[in-house]
Amino acid sequence: MTNRANQIAGAAQAAPAKSRRRGRGFDRQAAIVALLFAAPAFIMYAAFVLVPLGMSVFYSLQRWDGIGKMRFVGLNNYLIVLTDSDLLQVIGNAFLLAAWFTLIPVVLGLAVAAAIREHLGGPFGTVTRTILFLPQVIPLVAAGIAWSWMFANSGVVNQTLRGIGLEALARGWLGDFTFALPAVGIIGAWVLLGLCTMLLVTGITKIDPSLYEAARLDGAGAWDEFLYITLPGLRQELGVCVTVTVIAALASFDIVYIATGGGPGIQTTVPGLEIYRLAFAHRQVGLASALAIFLMVLVLVCVLPIQWLTRVRR
Amino acid sequence: MASVNINKAGKHYGGFEALKGVSVDIVDGEFVVLVGPSGCGKSTLLRMIAGLEEITSGEISIGPRVVNDLPPKERDIAMVFQNYALYPHMTVAQNMGFSLKLKGVPKTEIKAKVDRAAQILGLEKLLDRQPRQLSGGQRQRVAMGRAIVRDPQVFLFDEPLSNLDAKLRVQMRSEIKELHQRLKTTTIYVTHDQVEAMTMADKIVVMRDGIIEQMGSPLDLYDRPNNTFVAGFIGSPSMNFINGSVVDGGFKTTDGILLPVVNASANATVYGIRPEHLHIADDGIEIEVVVLEPTGSETQVIARLGSQQITGIFRERVTVAPGSKIKVKPDLSVVHLFDKDGKRVN
Repeated sequence: MTNRANQIAGAAQAAPAKSRRRGRGFDRQAAIVALLFAAPAFIMYAAFVLVPLGMSVFYSLQRWDGIGKMRFVGLNNYLIVLTDSDLLQVIGNAFLLAAWFTLIPVVLGLAVAAAIREHLGGPFGTVTRTILFLPQVIPLVAAGIAWSWMFANSGVVNQTLRGIGLEALARGWLGDFTFALPAVGIIGAWVLLGLCTMLLVTGITKIDPSLYEAARLDGAGAWDEFLYITLPGLRQELGVCVTVTVIAALASFDIVYIATGGGPGIQTTVPGLEIYRLAFAHRQVGLASALAIFLMVLVLVCVLPIQWLTRVRR
Repeated sequence: MASVNINKAGKHYGGFEALKGVSVDIVDGEFVVLVGPSGCGKSTLLRMIAGLEEITSGEISIGPRVVNDLPPKERDIAMVFQNYALYPHMTVAQNMGFSLKLKGVPKTEIKAKVDRAAQILGLEKLLDRQPRQLSGGQRQRVAMGRAIVRDPQVFLFDEPLSNLDAKLRVQMRSEIKELHQRLKTTTIYVTHDQVEAMTMADKIVVMRDGIIEQMGSPLDLYDRPNNTFVAGFIGSPSMNFINGSVVDGGFKTTDGILLPVVNASANATVYGIRPEHLHIADDGIEIEVVVLEPTGSETQVIARLGSQQITGIFRERVTVAPGSKIKVKPDLSVVHLFDKDGKRVN
C-alpha cells in the first residue's frame, strides 16, 4: 500500500502543476482506503491486546480487591514483585522450567530431524513425524492428567523403576520437593517436542542436499555435516523453537495447574499460576497485574535477543 | 593428476537401469566431457566417480586405486555442482578453505592456499563476502576456487554453467578451459550443451539411455558421427536428415528428388548433411524458403525440400522472401549416409 501511495505520489510530482491537486486527491483517497483495510485488524488488536494491556498497567499502579474502591499506590506493587522472596522464587521457577521446556525439545528435535533427514520422503519419515507430532494435538489438560498418573506412586514410571530393580529411586515425583519441577519440565518437554521436531524437520527440507554432498566431498563426517550445514541452515527455525518454548515456559499455567497445582509448597508455582491466585483467590488485583506486566517484560527481555540472534541476515 | 578408468560401470535404481555397463578410459590431464540429453546417465556416472552414488556393477579406478568402496573424501577429487553448493553462512574464504580446515591444515597454510586460488580466479577482493552477496559468475568462480584449493587428482564438473546467462556462459567456458590448460588436472565435465562439449573437450563421450553412443575428439564426432543420434546431437543447428533410398548410385528422396552422393551404400536410407555444408549454387537443388533468420554474420534458412524440412546456413546475405525458391548444393565430401537403424554406412 505504501508503494502504491509512493507510486501515486511519484506520478503526481511528475505531472504538470495543473493536475497536482488531483494527484493530492488520489493520495488522500489511497490513504483512506489503506486505513479502512487496516481498521478491522487494528480494532480487534486494540480490543483484545492494547486495552487489556493498558488496563493491566493501570491496575498494577493501584491497590484493589477487584470489587471495592481502588487506591493509587504508585510502583509499590512492582517493588513487592522485586523484593518478595516467594514471588522471586516463583519467577525463578519459571526460568528453571524454561530450561526444561526449551533444551529437551530443541536438542531432541534437532537430533531426530538430523537423523531422519535422508528418509523424510519415505514412509519412515511420515510415521516418525506423525508420532512425534501427536502430543501437540492432545489438550494440555489431558496431557497433564495422563502424566500425573504416570508420575504417581503406583504409576508407570515407578512400576518401571521397580521392575528394573531401582526401587530406591521410586517416589511420588510430582509431590517431591526436589523432583517436582523437573517432572513438570518433562511433561512440558514431551508436549513441545512434537512442535519443535516438526518445525526443524520442515526447516531441514529447505537445506539444499547438494550442500551435504559438497561437505562429504570436502571431507566432512556426520558430525561436521551437522555442525556446519544443518545447524546454520536451521538458524531461523531454531529461533522460532526457542522463542515458542521459552514463552511456553515463562507463561505456563495449565500443565502446572493440572499436574501439581503449584506444589509441593511453591516448588512448582510459576508466574502464570501465581497471577491467577493473587487475582482471583487473594483478591490482590493490583499485585497480580504488576506481576503480569513484569512477566511480559521478562518474556520480551528473553525473546528479543533470541530473535535478534537468529534473524535471517539478507 | 591421475587417470580415471571406468570399466563396465552399471547403476540400477530398483528395476530401472540408469547405466548399462559403461567403459571409458580417461588419461592423465585429459579434459573429458560427458554429453547427452536429460536422463542419459551422464550425471549418474559423474556422481559414481565422485562417490555420491554407489556403483551397482563394474569398477571405477582413479589412478592405480579402485575406488568403488571408498568414501568421497578419500577419492582425492573435487566437484563443482550445478548450483555451486556454496555454504551460505560462510564467507568466500571460508568456503574455499573448508576442506583444508576439516583436514586440520594450519590456518596460515589455509590462508596461503586460499589466497593463491583467489589470485588465479580473480577473487582477491571478494574473500570476505558471503555467497548471497555474489553474482552468478562470481559464485561459479568461488565453487571452482573451492575445488582448486584442494589440489585434487581429478576435477568433476556437473553442468556448472547451466545457471548462467548466455554471455557469462561463454566467458566462464573459456575461463574453465584456460584453468585446465594452466593446472593440467584431469577433468570430467558433464553438460547437455553440445557447444560446451565441442569447445572445451579433449574427448567427448556422447551418452544416451545409459550407454555410450560414441566417444572421441570433438572434430571426430563432428566429422564422422557413428549414427544419426550422434550426428543430430553434435553440431548446431543439427544435421539435416533427408529420408529416401539409393537408386542408381544416387540418393533419391521420398519425394523423388535426386541428391548427389559419392560412393553410395545400397542400404542407405537417410541422407545427412550439415546446414553449413549446403551452398547456394545455380546448378543446385531447388528448395522453397520458409523462414529466413539473418544474424549479420550469416543467414539461416529454413526451407522445404519436397515435403521434408531442411536448414541451411550461408555466409552470403540471402534476401529472398519466404515462399521464394533458391538453389543449393551439398558439399559432397561431407555427406553422411545412414541405414534404417541409424548406423553410418559411408
